[in-house]
Amino acid sequence: MDCILTIDINTSSVRIHAFDLTGEVLGMRKGSYPTFHPQADYSEQDPEQVFITTLYVLKNFINEVIQPQKYKVRALCFCAAMHSVLAVDKNGRPLGNAIIWADNRGIKEAKMLKKSAFRSPIYEATGTPIHPMSPLIKISWMRHQDPERFAQAFKFVSLKEYIVLQLTGEYLIDHSIASSTGLFDIHQLKWNAQALEFAGISPERLSAPVSIFFDEVPLKKEYSKSLGLSSATKVILGSSDGCSATLGSGNIAADRATVTIASSGAVRVASKEILADEKQRFFNYLLAEDYYISGGPTNNVGVVFDWYTQFFGSFNPGQEFEQVRVELLREATQVPAGAKGLLFLPYLLGERAPIWNANARGVYFGLNITHEQKHLLRATIEGILFEMYSIGKLLTDHRSFSSISLTGSYSSIPLFAQILTDIFGLPFNVNTKVDSVALGTALIGLTGMKYYNNLEEASASTHFTETYTPNAQNHELYLRYFEVFERLSGKLEEEFEMIAGLQ
Amino acid sequence: MNQLNLHEGKAEHLRDFPYITELVKLKIQNIQLNSFTVKTNEGIRIGLITEGKFDWVIAGQGYTLFPGDTFLIYPWQEIGSPKGVLDIGALCWISLSPELFDPSGLLQFGAWSSIPESEQRVIGKILAMNKNPVLSRFGAGPQILQRIEHEILQQEIGYRTRVNHLLDELLISLVRHLSKAENFRRDFPQIFSKLEQSLRENLAHPWTVEEMAGLVGLGTTAFTEKVKAFTGFSPLHYLINLRIAEAIKLLRQTKMSLTDIAFDTGFYSSQHFSSTFKKLTGYTPRAYRKTQ
Repeated sequence: MDCILTIDINTSSVRIHAFDLTGEVLGMRKGSYPTFHPQADYSEQDPEQVFITTLYVLKNFINEVIQPQKYKVRALCFCAAMHSVLAVDKNGRPLGNAIIWADNRGIKEAKMLKKSAFRSPIYEATGTPIHPMSPLIKISWMRHQDPERFAQAFKFVSLKEYIVLQLTGEYLIDHSIASSTGLFDIHQLKWNAQALEFAGISPERLSAPVSIFFDEVPLKKEYSKSLGLSSATKVILGSSDGCSATLGSGNIAADRATVTIASSGAVRVASKEILADEKQRFFNYLLAEDYYISGGPTNNVGVVFDWYTQFFGSFNPGQEFEQVRVELLREATQVPAGAKGLLFLPYLLGERAPIWNANARGVYFGLNITHEQKHLLRATIEGILFEMYSIGKLLTDHRSFSSISLTGSYSSIPLFAQILTDIFGLPFNVNTKVDSVALGTALIGLTGMKYYNNLEEASASTHFTETYTPNAQNHELYLRYFEVFERLSGKLEEEFEMIAGLQ
Repeated sequence: MNQLNLHEGKAEHLRDFPYITELVKLKIQNIQLNSFTVKTNEGIRIGLITEGKFDWVIAGQGYTLFPGDTFLIYPWQEIGSPKGVLDIGALCWISLSPELFDPSGLLQFGAWSSIPESEQRVIGKILAMNKNPVLSRFGAGPQILQRIEHEILQQEIGYRTRVNHLLDELLISLVRHLSKAENFRRDFPQIFSKLEQSLRENLAHPWTVEEMAGLVGLGTTAFTEKVKAFTGFSPLHYLINLRIAEAIKLLRQTKMSLTDIAFDTGFYSSQHFSSTFKKLTGYTPRAYRKTQ
């Protein structure tokens, strides 16, 4: 049987799936690598470990699943987390670790760009909000704060480009990852001159931008031989994880949205037009020519619930984190919607959309003497999901939705899915059988190989395993709570800055 | 509480136990000047507060100890009271002098211990990595210390063997407590991150699964399952990953010989390094370096 392998290089691990040519999963393997935090606000990964982990998982997967089943690998198709930057010398050798999306070291540079005349033209051309997550800001940080590394750097690449460079010997960046750098003009499909000027680099110091379907460079022969792959196996560049997740959720349609709840989260829509927002709160990333994925990201989803579990869960000796989490979820299910008038602003890691405030902090609001720990628990979960709604609500100013898909590791938790459904007041579809990022990546590969005529057709081939319907009474109640949530988060900007200054 | 003050070379009772440098049980009713000044500890001191409240400086940090707290001091650490005195209260401790124990975790108790060498290595690592000299809820400690005291003082038949066994039991109970205390309320990703840091800091060490599991306070079966579920790799395969990633850096960024790279990254020979590297990457290390 012919198959396609998808390689998803995400924040914590590489996940490799095999799909047949109709998009059905044949198998999966993963391997993880760590994120280092050498200082507060710094988040880095070791590019060699990411590469070796990718190679190791790929080799084991081929040896243990692909070869015994006699599958023939027609293509490898890549996907990765956005916003990473790695400086490499002229031999492609890394100059230090890769700086990943979660890194906030460029706060000053982001502020500088926000105050400059470049702000609006760069945002409008690139579709990337001005924020320390963006590679534009990270390169600018390196230029000012680490001039030696900046000068030594032959090129600035993402982790995905680095893996592709190792495997093929070529510097290539797909349009999707390029569009999340803050340096790439999503309208003209070339590096943006003003962004390059702000970063202090010429286009030669970046890889050649190519389509997500690009497949013209083969694997180095040493790798194809070592992996036992035919020299005809195509290497398809693929896209970014956010774009792939939207495609794999079946939402390449103007009246649908995708909510992703994992460690971080996002609400996304796909269309042929970008979302123009005068306050510059949305991203507009390019999936492929004329396909834009727009929306807003949040920092505070699973990571906040993990924080709550760790510090407020009852850990009896020998009890596992997962068991405690399940107990907390069971307990939260018993608490009525609204947590008895308690609200939580979940900004433990600052926040991106919709408030874009790195100084934002967590707040429990409305506490009275009758509140118990279970109310704090329920309010924590609801606060995380109100934040998702605050992004979704902004999007509804531009689009009307008939349904929403839920993806990400938390999408399989019924309590999270039902509360989201009730808050949004719209049906939510979930596909618990397949990872939407991997499926979206496979669909890109299959479209590139002409098994589908276009991405809409590919996306329409997906299906859901469960649908949640909203409870009208809870929806009404949640809208009243959300009004307080929104007013509160809008009012605290100065206080957030003051308290952040004391921390 | 009976007082007890046995010191190596001075107390007849310790004649058969040269590796026990002190066994002390004190009830302090009067404060004596300069009775507890800050100075370097001798041996591994394991003790217990039974009454009172003590403000001490251990390895440069201030600690307040209460009844039920266990203290654990290493040969390279200083301990004492900032006021130079022992406060009113009661405490007991035992000091052991291992043949070898250094801050990197190298540990050899000596011939008296029946703990195998490989387990002593794990115990050494766990002890050396422990940054908290004051432990609470080490319930096994008081009872074992009391039994050691009883055996040493009563000298009934087989008392040497019993004391040695009790010392082994004390040390094993202690490291199990340390591993579990450290990991209490933590999730596995955090525990794993700590392990990974230890592996990276000493890639050349011939790590065994047992040692790695010991470092995070788990049995080898549970540890292997958890690592596999979390990383997708068996512990040893994860370690090989780290070793090859580091070897790639050294091949690309230094002129070190292949043999030196092999040993630095924990391979037992350059052939072992070469075959593992080729199996994974398709290149021999030499060929890989040439392509860079």
